[in-house]
This record gives sequence, structure tokens and C-alpha cells, in this order.
Amino acid sequence: MAAVTITLPVLLSSLIGEKTIAVEAATPSEALQELVRRYPALDMLLFDETGELREHVLCFHNEENTRWCTDGLHRALAANDRMTIIQAVAGG
Amino acid sequence: MGVAVLVGTMKGAFVMRSANASRTEWDLEGPYFKGWQVTAAGRAEDGRFIVGTSSHVYGATLHVSRDLATWDMIEHGPRYEADEDRKLKEFWTLATTPLGIFAGVSEAGLFHAADPCGPWEQVRGLNDHVTRDAWQPGLGGLCAHVLLANPHNPRQLWCGVSAVGVFRSDDGGESWHPKNRGVTPAIEDKEHKDIGTCVHGLALCPRDAQTLYRQDHLGMFRSNDGAESWHENALGLPSNFGFAIKTDPNTGTLFCYPLESDHHRLPAGGKMRVYRSTDGGSSWHTAAQGLPQEDTYATVLRGAMDVDGLDPCGVYFGTTSGTVHTSSNRGDSWQSMNYLFPRILCVEAFVI
Repeated sequence: MAAVTITLPVLLSSLIGEKTIAVEAATPSEALQELVRRYPALDMLLFDETGELREHVLCFHNEENTRWCTDGLHRALAANDRMTIIQAVAGG
Repeated sequence: MGVAVLVGTMKGAFVMRSANASRTEWDLEGPYFKGWQVTAAGRAEDGRFIVGTSSHVYGATLHVSRDLATWDMIEHGPRYEADEDRKLKEFWTLATTPLGIFAGVSEAGLFHAADPCGPWEQVRGLNDHVTRDAWQPGLGGLCAHVLLANPHNPRQLWCGVSAVGVFRSDDGGESWHPKNRGVTPAIEDKEHKDIGTCVHGLALCPRDAQTLYRQDHLGMFRSNDGAESWHENALGLPSNFGFAIKTDPNTGTLFCYPLESDHHRLPAGGKMRVYRSTDGGSSWHTAAQGLPQEDTYATVLRGAMDVDGLDPCGVYFGTTSGTVHTSSNRGDSWQSMNYLFPRILCVEAFVI
């Protein structure tokens, strides 16, 4: 288990009143599960009906987009790693 | 006794409050849900207000409030099952009935709960209807956008699905049957001849719960037999196209906002005109005193008109250009509010 932080985009942080949440988890997947355990309202916003991250929700691990990593949300977290939720937006 | 009008827009909700029944002086509150689409609003039997928000990134969620100012997100709102090939994209209507609350959503379906905080369950009789595979979306998507209940027989319900048609349940929502005979189909299905009508708006006569009105893609219609059959009812309207239709619950006066054809979808002649009928839709007349009558091309979406039920009835509508217009005298005259909101998706009036 590693102590990491998850930073939320403003549309989500404004709903729960927290911008950055500290959690302990071994993988990004576990960290997100801990996040929605603490803030159940986020479950429907982050994950679709199949339990996958919504199509336009991106989860970065430090500087890497986990969607583009072969180990995705199951890679190992290290102490003080940063996770960032970003909404994928195309166009202006 | 005052009125609060919730205006749901592409970028949040605003609340207009008038402290007394004159409804001429308004205070503005908000924005609430800044950055979120606010697509539908309603009120539970115990007085709590409900709002549906959505985002193309984060999906659709419900929120409740006791004062229209402080909102709590519902943690376990309506949701399709993981093994269904459907996603809940937006809330289109939040209707309180004696049987509980019904949420009409896109992709088209109904959800039901006794309490807005849940648990919510799918209305399987409609969502898994035998015609479901033949349902086709219209320009606004595939949505269940209106739910009405017979006040004398709460187990009789009507639901409008665009671009499918009207369904009626006589057993409290267990089973549903298409009721579109006499309505011009918009997308005719080869197998299911009783669907394929594109209902835009549906209203119930307050004096006779077997009399209904529907603004369809291809006409304005009336039924005298609980939706068993429909006949065209558009004398005096400048076009057969539009979305919003509402009834004054005291007098049965009808209000609609016609648009020039399904191809153009603009107010005819650049005039902002509500049309009103005091004879059950047999004849329609303009009710536009005080509204802009030249160079005005704002449209009104299906959820963006409402009445408050006071006497005389207040009528409110919001436009895709972000303007709001109010009448405190059943449409005899109008006041254009000095606000400019984002594109308006829904307008709901509450007596407070």
C-alpha cells in the first residue's frame, strides 16, 4: 500500500467539497475504489453501467494516462504518487 | 404564497423567486450546478425539490433540496444494469404521482422510486417492451420525456417517448401499450405499426382525465378516450410543429409554442408567439402581448414551458437563446425578464 493523492476536476470537486484526497492503495484501481467508498456519489460519475471508467474520464498516474498503459489501472503505486482525474475534451 | 421558477440551462440552474401571487417582481438566485446541464426538475410529495443534471463526461445524476438553494446529490440514483446495452444519458422528466416518482430518461426508459433518494427501479414493462428493439431516436435522442397520471385513477399512466409514441398503463406501470391510433407516423416501423409516432409534448385536461393533448412532430392532436384514438386539433396554429404544450390546471386553457416546420424549427415570421386555446384545442389564438414581435428567432424546447397552477395561472417559458418570459394572467400579457442565460433546457414553476 502506498500513500497517494487523487486530484479531481472542478466539476467533481465542487460536488463533494474536496479538491485533493489522500488515500492508501496498491494500484490506481484500488485508489479509485477507496475514493468512491468515501464519496459514494462519485461512483456514478466516474464509472459507467459496466463498471468501467466513463469514456471521457481519464485517470493519470503521475504524468501518464493509464488508458494508454498496458497495465492500466492495475499498475503499482509508489509513495507520494499523484493521481489526477481529467475530463477528455476535444475541440473548443 | 409565492412562486419559484427553476430555469435549467446548459451551464447550470437559476431560480427566480416572486414573494407574492402578483408575480411581477422577481429575485434571481444561482447559478447552481455551475457547469452542469440541468435537464429536468420536479417536486416530491413531501415538498423536496429534485433536479436532474448531466454531463457528456460524467453522465446523469439526481439532486434533492428543501429550499432550492442547498442541494444534495443522490448517491444511488437510477441506472441501467451492467448487462444491458443501454446507458442513462439524461433525465427528461421527474414526475410525482400518487404511486411515487417516475424519472423519464434517455436512452429511453422509466425508473420509479417511492422516495427521490431511492431505491430506484426500472419500470420493466416499458423499458423491456416488446417493441423496444424497434425504437428509433429522433433529433433530440431516444428519450422518455413525459409521464402523466390520471388524478382519479392513479394506476392509469401515460408516457411519451420520442420518437416512438405514447404508451398507456392501466395497472400502475406493470404493463404498457402503445396508444397512437390516428397520429401521423414519423418513422413507420415495418413490424410494429402502433409505434413510430414522434410525440414532443403531452398534456392532460384537468376537467376530464380521458382528454389528452399531444404536440407531435407532425401535428397537434387531441384524444377524448384516454389516448385510444387521436384526431388533429390545430385550427388557428401557424404550423403543425412545436414541442411545448401545457394546460392551466384550473381552467384547462392550453398553451403551446409553434415552430415553423420540422425543417426550419423557427418561430414563424420572426415573432415570439405563444398560442392559447380555451376550447380544448378546437381553436387556437395568439397570446403574445408584450413578447417581441419582430426579428426574434428563439425556440422553446419541450421541457422549457410550465404553469404554476395559481388563479389566474402563471405561465413561464425559456428559450434556446437564454431568455425567460412570464405571464401572471394566463397569457393575457407577458413580461420578458432582463436575464440572459445559457441555452434553456427546462423550466419548472413551484408554488412556495
